[in-house]
This record gives sequence, C-alpha cells and structure tokens, in this order.
Amino acid sequence: MLINILETAFDLIITLNDDLFEIINLSLKVTLSALIIAVSISIPFGAFLALYKNKYQSLIVLISNTLMGMPPVVLGLLIYTLVSKKGIFGFLDILYTPTAMILAQTLLIIPIVISLTYEEVYKKNKDYNLLLNSLNLNNFSKLKTLIYECRYALVTVALTGFGRASAEVGAVMIVGGNINHYTRVMTTAIAFETSKGSIELAVALGLILILISFIITLLIKSLRKIS
Amino acid sequence: MNILPLKVKNLNYVVNGKNILKNINIECNNNNVTIVAGNNGSGKSTFLKILHGLIKTQNNNKIKWGEFYISDIKREQSMVFQTPILLNRTAYENLLYVAKKKNITEKNYVDKIIDKLNIKNISNVNTKYISGGERQKVAIGMSIIGNPKIIFLDEPTSQLDPAYKNDIENIINELSYNKVKIFMTSHDISQIKRIGSEIIFMDNGEIIYHDSVKKFFEEKQCNLISEYINYG
Repeated sequence: MLINILETAFDLIITLNDDLFEIINLSLKVTLSALIIAVSISIPFGAFLALYKNKYQSLIVLISNTLMGMPPVVLGLLIYTLVSKKGIFGFLDILYTPTAMILAQTLLIIPIVISLTYEEVYKKNKDYNLLLNSLNLNNFSKLKTLIYECRYALVTVALTGFGRASAEVGAVMIVGGNINHYTRVMTTAIAFETSKGSIELAVALGLILILISFIITLLIKSLRKIS
Repeated sequence: MNILPLKVKNLNYVVNGKNILKNINIECNNNNVTIVAGNNGSGKSTFLKILHGLIKTQNNNKIKWGEFYISDIKREQSMVFQTPILLNRTAYENLLYVAKKKNITEKNYVDKIIDKLNIKNISNVNTKYISGGERQKVAIGMSIIGNPKIIFLDEPTSQLDPAYKNDIENIINELSYNKVKIFMTSHDISQIKRIGSEIIFMDNGEIIYHDSVKKFFEEKQCNLISEYINYG
C-alpha cells in the first residue's frame, strides 16, 4: 500500500499536477512575502538592539526569546481575534485571505530573526568594537559594517525563519481558513487531504516540504562553512 | 597642527573599585618612538587606549595633545592591536574599507599602501587565510591610511617570527622618520633598544620611569627596572 501511495505521489510531482503546484506556488508566495517583510524589520532592529545598550535592551531580548517559542496556533488565534469582523482591525477585511496568512507568518518569524540577529551582531560587535571605535565611526556606519560582517550568518537566520514559517500549520489554518484555490498552502492541504483520506496528494506535498527542508539545511550548512 | 607636547595631568582610571591607572602625570615632547613598557597588568595597554580615546575616563579632559583634546584629534590617530582586528574580507577590501571611511578618494591609494607594505601577494586573499605576520602588516596598513599624526601600537610584534618582526620594525622606523608620533608597548628588550627613543615604564598602574631609552638601560637605582632589563 505504501509503495502505491508513494508511486502516485511521485507521479503527481513528475506530471506537474495543477492542484499540487498551485498549492506549492501559494505556499512559497506567502512564506517568501512574510520572510521579506520580517527580515526587513527584524535584522536592522536586532542589530540595533545589539549595538545600542539601553535599559530596555534585556527586556526586549527576553520578550523576543520568549516569543520564539510561541505556539503558532496561539498566534493564529490572536490574529484571528484582531482581524475578525468584531476585532479592532476587522475593518481591514483580511480574514481568510493570503494577506492574513502573510501577517501570521511574518509575526511568527519576527521574534526568531530578532533574537538570532541580536546574538550574531552582539558577538561580532565584541570582535570589532575596538577597530570600529578606533576608526571613529558613527553608530550608523558601525551598524552597517556589523550587519555586512554577519552577512552569511544572517542569511542562515533568514533561512531558519523560512523553515519555521513554511512548516507551520496552526496559524495559517486559523487565519487563512484553508480555502481551496485561494488560501490552501502545503501544510494545511496535508492536514486536510489526510483527514478526507486523499493520502497521495498529502504525501506528495509532504515530500516537497521535506525537499525544501533538505535544501534549507544544505544551504545553512554551506553558509556556516563560508562564514 | 602641533600635537606635541602630550600632557597628562592627574589621570586616574578605576574599574570595579580597582585602580588600573593611578595619578598619571606626564609631559611628552619626544617626536620619535615612545615605548610604553612594564610587566603584565601594569596598565600599558589601558594607558594607550585612554590616550587614543577608546576608553573614556571621567577625566579625559586631563589629557591634551598640544592644544587639543582627544576628541578634537581622534581622526589624526590610529591604533594597531596585539591581535590584529581585521574584517572578514580580503586584505585589499580591508584597506579599501578604511580608506572609504576616511573619505579618501585618491585613485590607486590602496594599491600604494599595498606596495609600500609589500603585501601584493596576499592582497586578494581573505584575511582569514593569511599568516599572523601578514595580518599584522595589513593592520598596520589600515592604521597608516589617511596619514595619521599619531599611531598607537599595542605589542605589534609579540606573536611574530624574527623576519616579520624586522619587517614591521622597518615600517615603524619609516613612519617615525616621516614625523608620525609612535606610541608602542613592547616586552622585547632588544626591540626597545633598536627602535625606542624614549620610554615610559609602568608598574601597577603608575609611571615609575620616563626618560630616554639610552638612560633607561643605564638605570641602576630601580630594582624593578634592572630586573626587567636583565630578564627581558
């Protein structure tokens, strides 16, 4: 039976099944959009936190570290309450749309990227602090230099965020609603197809997810070697 | 711009209740190489970092370079550290980075520095992959960009073999010849003799000797200095 399922799953992938690739396409669009938004906000913010010592620094890092482990389903619930018709952002009318899914994944990635960026830039600042101060650089120049010097590590951080978001199911299920041809992504489709007994498509999507995870791990490993 | 004499008055530096520098008073008018010597933990490196403005004390205004405070002439100073601090880039890119930060627009400026230090063979190699001596040469190259008037060298040759030591001493002598004021910490007695003009000897956060290197080696009164010279 397993062999048959795998055979059909591979067949769906090789024949470029429309449904399968529509789901993959939306998943990548949502996750990449969330990643770009999260990284654009979190990398400068994490680096800023590492460089500028102030009384709120430890508190923000603590909150960010705590939110890293937040269950996606709780985050989904929180966003649901905010963007549902009765929520304070209900007027935006984004519930059960890809926008709400991007929002959920962005909020999921942000603490991960902030915390990991903070760690990397903090370490690098320790190494380069004397040199950068000796060159009499202003804080903005220091920040730019440190981010550049952490470039490989920060790509790894971004990939870690991508991995977390692409494998997440709870939040996008709640705020996206898993609507066919509209908000159905790989993880929600796997859950849905399995529940209705259409295991072949679920396995095909699972294989793609494993492949994505494998590629991310390979990239992270190579980047660690370079850096 | 006249950066000498260097005058330091009643400088103290306390960290966690420990007096790292105690009541430093000094007037330095020597425009050649000044060696800052002393046993480990005597406060040499801290003193250099304070003079360079890397460590801020509550009384930094007790230090004057000619008519200027440290903050006024920070751009005229540079420092080379015992363990070279280089960016994760090629030697050329490290030099180019400093040149850009110092707003040097002259074409081929970095190439000239590379030629001067004779490091063309490693200019396109990431500094992770070059030897300690080569790293130190790149760090010195970074420090001379923009023709600073004062260069601090914190034991720049302590980890180098004789050939690189000789190369770097030649660079230091050339800088000094070209009117760059050099402050350098060293434990190497023969090196102090070779390149030092005046010496500041420190012990336990205090300056206990400040005179010419020639007189330092004739000093018989202070046991600590005699021991330092004999065991060095």
